[in-house]
Amino acid sequence: MIYFDNAATTGKKPESVIKAVDHALRYFSVNPGRGGYELSQNCAEMVYECRRKVCGLFNCEREDKVVFTKNCTESINIVLKGVLQNNDHVITSSMEHNAVARPLYKLGKSGVEVDYAEVIFGDPEATVRSFERLIKSNTKLIICTHASNVTGEIMPVEALGKLCHNNNILFAVDAAQTAGILPIDMVNMNIDYLCVASHKGLYAPMGTGILVTRGNIFDTIIEGGTGTDSISTSQPLDLPEMLESGTINVPGIAGLLAGIDFVNSKGIENIYRNELRLAEYLYKKLRSMGGITVYTPYPQYMAIVPTISFNINGIPSAEVAQMLSDMGVAVRAGLHCAPLAHKRIGTLDVGTVRVCFSVFNNVNEIDMFANCILKIKHAKK
Amino acid sequence: MNNYFIITGTVTYALRGRDILRSKGYSANVKRVQHKYKNAGCGYGIVLTGDVEQAIQLLKSSGIKILGTEVVEN
Repeated sequence: MIYFDNAATTGKKPESVIKAVDHALRYFSVNPGRGGYELSQNCAEMVYECRRKVCGLFNCEREDKVVFTKNCTESINIVLKGVLQNNDHVITSSMEHNAVARPLYKLGKSGVEVDYAEVIFGDPEATVRSFERLIKSNTKLIICTHASNVTGEIMPVEALGKLCHNNNILFAVDAAQTAGILPIDMVNMNIDYLCVASHKGLYAPMGTGILVTRGNIFDTIIEGGTGTDSISTSQPLDLPEMLESGTINVPGIAGLLAGIDFVNSKGIENIYRNELRLAEYLYKKLRSMGGITVYTPYPQYMAIVPTISFNINGIPSAEVAQMLSDMGVAVRAGLHCAPLAHKRIGTLDVGTVRVCFSVFNNVNEIDMFANCILKIKHAKK
Repeated sequence: MNNYFIITGTVTYALRGRDILRSKGYSANVKRVQHKYKNAGCGYGIVLTGDVEQAIQLLKSSGIKILGTEVVEN
């Protein structure tokens, strides 16, 4: 099978990740840091080592600010519901995934003001001005995706971070499509909350996400056992335990640790350049075929992550995806849980076919994929 | 030189504190809190050899919450 649905989750995991998960299940099936026995403490050391490596990857200052979640959506919910209160104002972009849009919609019904800034592709300064124009005296937070999961467009996160910093506004970034693919420096980018889908660009197992927080979280969405201050019925306020109630996903975290090592061994810059080269190759192939609409702009360095959205004119995206599946190719069709982005590019009614690469893809696969697209075009003539 | 037990409450604070202290040349190890420290829950602490006052200042300035300190009987 050719797997091009890496924007959903990286479909092939490194052997080192698989071995780490296997090892954790065999030898670390204990609750880390709760029991006094040696194995529990060793497990806690492994979990802490993972926090330390997350810190190094994103340049955050403190390991205790690294929270393990079950996915990026949970990280985003923790931020939005733990930071925003009635009468607070929040600004987000016109390219957001439902992971941001849906919790904001719910918060909007309970008194939080929500505004959507227009994203102008190819003009990051204009995009930043879109956000700036919406700032009000009660603006508490700006949250935006680092890169669109539909078109791959990269947002001007560094400039938005500066805008937030200058206006005393908290800044949250949905890095689902970028962690492990683009460099992220929380300090230099003025990011207060970084939400990560570890199972995508960091090659960890599904069921793993990260929230790295430099700002405060004022409330929790889940309470329970943390292994700390057990005599109290109030939720402890110390991070990361405050946001990690219940038993954490030790095998997933072991896999994440191996995944970060894998990404570091390849180098984020190398990963990005190689995948961008694949995106450029596919982009040119699709554009040369005729009868195909490509929605992703030309894959320029630091403008696009390796995600290409397109349609074969006259054929529904879901039908194309099904035919590709029959030929052994995995892609994602439809709205990709991002109706805002589809509305912006004019595909809300039809969706798109989305292709996204990982380190395990190559040019030969794209050649085979292009042949499949030609076959579908001819079959439907 | 005395040994001290610095109770941090959480294992994350304990591990982070240990690394900070070791980076400054202290002998520091993480140990689970004994039952007698009932307010620490299932928490952890750091066994330290060296200047405890200086160590505590270092930990506090690094954002580590300290629940208490005791001299460890050898």
